[in-house]
Amino acid sequence: MKTRKLLSLVLAIAMLLSVAGVATAETAVADLPRNETLYFGGQQWGTVNSWNPVGTNQNNAMGTTTNPSGSRTIMFETLYMFNLLDGSMVPLLAEGDPVWADDLSTVTVTLNDAAKWSDGTAVTSNDVIRTWEISLQLNNTAGANYGPFIESIEAVDDLTFTINLAKNEEGTPVNPLKVEDFLVATFVAQAAWLDTLEERNGGDTVAMLNDEALDAPYTGPYGPYVSNDQLVAFVRNDNYWGQDESMWGKLPVPKYIAHTIYADNAVTEVAFRQGEIDVGQIFVPNVQDLWEEEGLPVSGYMMEEPYGICLTMPTAWYNLNNPVLQDATLRKAIAIAVDYDAIIENAITNQSPTFEEVPRSCMNPTEVEQAMYDHEAVADLQWTGNDVEGAIAMLEEAGYVDTNGDGWRETPDGEEITLTAVCPNGWTDWQAAIELVAAAGANIGINITTVYPESSTYSTVYSNPNQTEYDIFMQSPDGAGPSQPWGRIRQFMSSDFVGLENNFSGNYGQYSNERIDEILELIPITTDEEELKALYTEAVEIYLTDVPSFSLMYRPQFFHFVNESVWTNFPYDGDGTNIPPTDCTDGYGIAALYNLQLVEG
Amino acid sequence: MKNTLRQVFHSPKFLVGFIIFVAVLLLAILYPLFNPGNPLQQIGLGTFAPPGTYVSLYDAVGTETSTFRLDDADAKRLASVLSDEDRVSMVNWLTAVGVDVTGLDITDTDALLEIWNANYDQSIRPEGMTNAQRNSYISLNNRLQSLGASETLTVMQPDEEGEMEEVTDIESTDYVNVGDVTNVITLPLGTDNFGRDVLKELASAIGTSLMIGLVAGCIATFIGLVLGLLSGYVGGVLDDIVMFITNIFTVIPSFVLLILINYSIGQENRGAMVVALVIGLTSWTWTTRSVRSQVISLRNRDHVNLSKLSGHSLVRIVLTDILPYIASYVVMAFILQISSAILSEAQLSLLGLGPKTTEVPTLGLMMNWAMLYSAHLGGKWWAYFPVIGVIALISFSLNLMNTGLDQVFNPTLRD
Repeated sequence: MKTRKLLSLVLAIAMLLSVAGVATAETAVADLPRNETLYFGGQQWGTVNSWNPVGTNQNNAMGTTTNPSGSRTIMFETLYMFNLLDGSMVPLLAEGDPVWADDLSTVTVTLNDAAKWSDGTAVTSNDVIRTWEISLQLNNTAGANYGPFIESIEAVDDLTFTINLAKNEEGTPVNPLKVEDFLVATFVAQAAWLDTLEERNGGDTVAMLNDEALDAPYTGPYGPYVSNDQLVAFVRNDNYWGQDESMWGKLPVPKYIAHTIYADNAVTEVAFRQGEIDVGQIFVPNVQDLWEEEGLPVSGYMMEEPYGICLTMPTAWYNLNNPVLQDATLRKAIAIAVDYDAIIENAITNQSPTFEEVPRSCMNPTEVEQAMYDHEAVADLQWTGNDVEGAIAMLEEAGYVDTNGDGWRETPDGEEITLTAVCPNGWTDWQAAIELVAAAGANIGINITTVYPESSTYSTVYSNPNQTEYDIFMQSPDGAGPSQPWGRIRQFMSSDFVGLENNFSGNYGQYSNERIDEILELIPITTDEEELKALYTEAVEIYLTDVPSFSLMYRPQFFHFVNESVWTNFPYDGDGTNIPPTDCTDGYGIAALYNLQLVEG
Repeated sequence: MKNTLRQVFHSPKFLVGFIIFVAVLLLAILYPLFNPGNPLQQIGLGTFAPPGTYVSLYDAVGTETSTFRLDDADAKRLASVLSDEDRVSMVNWLTAVGVDVTGLDITDTDALLEIWNANYDQSIRPEGMTNAQRNSYISLNNRLQSLGASETLTVMQPDEEGEMEEVTDIESTDYVNVGDVTNVITLPLGTDNFGRDVLKELASAIGTSLMIGLVAGCIATFIGLVLGLLSGYVGGVLDDIVMFITNIFTVIPSFVLLILINYSIGQENRGAMVVALVIGLTSWTWTTRSVRSQVISLRNRDHVNLSKLSGHSLVRIVLTDILPYIASYVVMAFILQISSAILSEAQLSLLGLGPKTTEVPTLGLMMNWAMLYSAHLGGKWWAYFPVIGVIALISFSLNLMNTGLDQVFNPTLRD
């Protein structure tokens, strides 16, 4: 009896302790009043490594994400903010538009004299220059991405600096578009702090890249507040310089920005449904059911399909290392036989426009990019899919027949065709899509089998320029940005990537075409609108004729769904604010934070 | 033998288990005969069509109609578009934008619609209204537009010149007999995320999963039996070695081992039979241990010693003097192995480590895809609940049969 009493006592204590444990874990969250905190989901997985604006591997999704389609400027800021709705660049640390020299060889930028660091000192051209120098020295993402395109940055005065563009042998600038990317994508760090960083790490590159940098001054409206393995939160800097009339004229509404660290997408979805997350960057299959059937206060940027703005297109690439696939007829036949409607309905549950609505090209479905090429001129080359008879006719005509009677077609030379269609295991919408590519093969007598390797294996193989294992494989090109759609055409077809080891950048299928390379050199230095349109149209024409790859669907670069249980007044299509749906944090999307309101009652 | 079988079938527990098991098995065997075709064929565009009978609208237009004048047809039609909550929220919207609604009877549809149509403007977003609410008003308004339509719907199609030509009129009192419509499809369990017929897939998956269970069970039982018999009967160094290996496998949780092996095999090589093999190879340990202990208790019995004295070979002694005494136990262990192998496959597939997705459906894969497409969060019960039900039924029936056998073979448990 005594032992039993003792046991129950021990159990009771254990239970109390565990309750207390839960309670302490929740205090970190309870410190953040719900009506002053904007919760995000689907961005941060795992604990933050660092707050280093010039580092790598920060694993700090909310703090240090950079991207030409809109860097996340809640903590560190860029010179300009990209607005993917109209392709414009809105000044942030800069003032006024960048001033280009007539021959595009230099660009001059003036800083906003109101801009201040969180330690109260002013932002100067020296900060920009020192950040650039250290990026080159460390060869971090900014240094590696823009190093080949920028020769130097020189100060004109404390607030003005000039970027000298790198030039090719003929003396023309290599690529002004990439420099525009630089202006919207790279954070500015404080020169004085960068000196400290260099000193305390003794100039060691690796140590500097991995420095935790909690002391780094920032210019953005939010600074670090809480970071542990359950939650990362930022607190508003009430002295933020952006209150100046020349910028926002006020502070962003939420006092805190928080991101609970969830195990996976499914858990995030549950939290989002329950209103524990305000802004969700998650793929929710059949998301319309959330408001249509379950009546949750959830909405996307648009109320009709595809509910958001698609900026990229998951694409199936042909591997031209396989001699069979060097024939464009076979490539096109497979592409026109695929049932894209089924992919869009089932794999991405209609969160993509169809190829009837947005005909295929190298442009994403935004109006800005769609206007860049002549739709009429390439209309005859278009296909919307599921054209099994057309594909069979093409193959028959080109001499692809089943000569050995095994039920599958052979090449005109009588060689057997067996193709693999590959995407990483566990990428559900891609797997569902690639499954339908294989089905299209079966319909037209081309033997295609699906393979789903683990994603680490997958990236090792597809990035190898000599691989022959994957014949048709999936990869997405980049989304929006000032250098798009030029950058995407380059990714689809440029010879720059042919033979490149560890190629994670583009043209994974080793396609090459001299005319495309010429066009790619011409576009960045062409300013005449008509000429530019002609070049883009020609590129699309080549893409649709040669079919080096074919897109399977469109997809948002980031999903943007909001739950209006606590906050409201998020941007939506047609609200007249011109704020892009970039999760209220990226590029000009951050303007949404200044308009938020609490839900009444 | 006949007597034993009769005893077994007189055990009510065994009988119930057996009947359930046979019913599930018959579903797997007979349903594909009755509804042939590839179970993985995508028949529907769109995810998760709910269970029910689907009538081709296209064919229904040309089908001969009968006229029924039903009193409540109009009321039903109206209610499906405009529920009572909708009426209240319409009034809320009107009040929010400052329309005077005093004296309005919200059950008076005509009056309500009139004031709504006169005032509703989707570009207005009253102060304090969320975008989600604004969206719901827009879709409510869109639905209401169909109410203003006349009693007759006209179906038109373009002729050669592109002019619209009337095909037929549909009166609100027209009905067609479902039997007359050319194309009707019944999906007792709806479709899954790929637009596949769930029942057809389920029937095929039961077959695959039972096969996996059977193969894995055979392998595990065979290994367990051979090792157990040898180490128990021979003893000595052999026993030490076998028990050493068995103990190692016992302390490493077999499910962790399963995950690791399946992960390293890689998706492309993981067919259903490979998964069955791996499950079999990792779940033999407890069979070995219990067979060994039973053999140890048997090996010094008189009849075994007599055999030894008669100079019978080891194989003969094991097969004729020992195996028959533990056969009933082995059969029961085998049944449990099948049941646990089916559960293992389901667990593995749920983690995305089951057989590769393209070739055959299995119970675990069906649950895996349902989960990936959030069926459990969105209330699409038909995509996963029948699967869980079938897994539960199979393992329940196997365990029931096992308990029944136990009562027959183990005299101390007899009633």
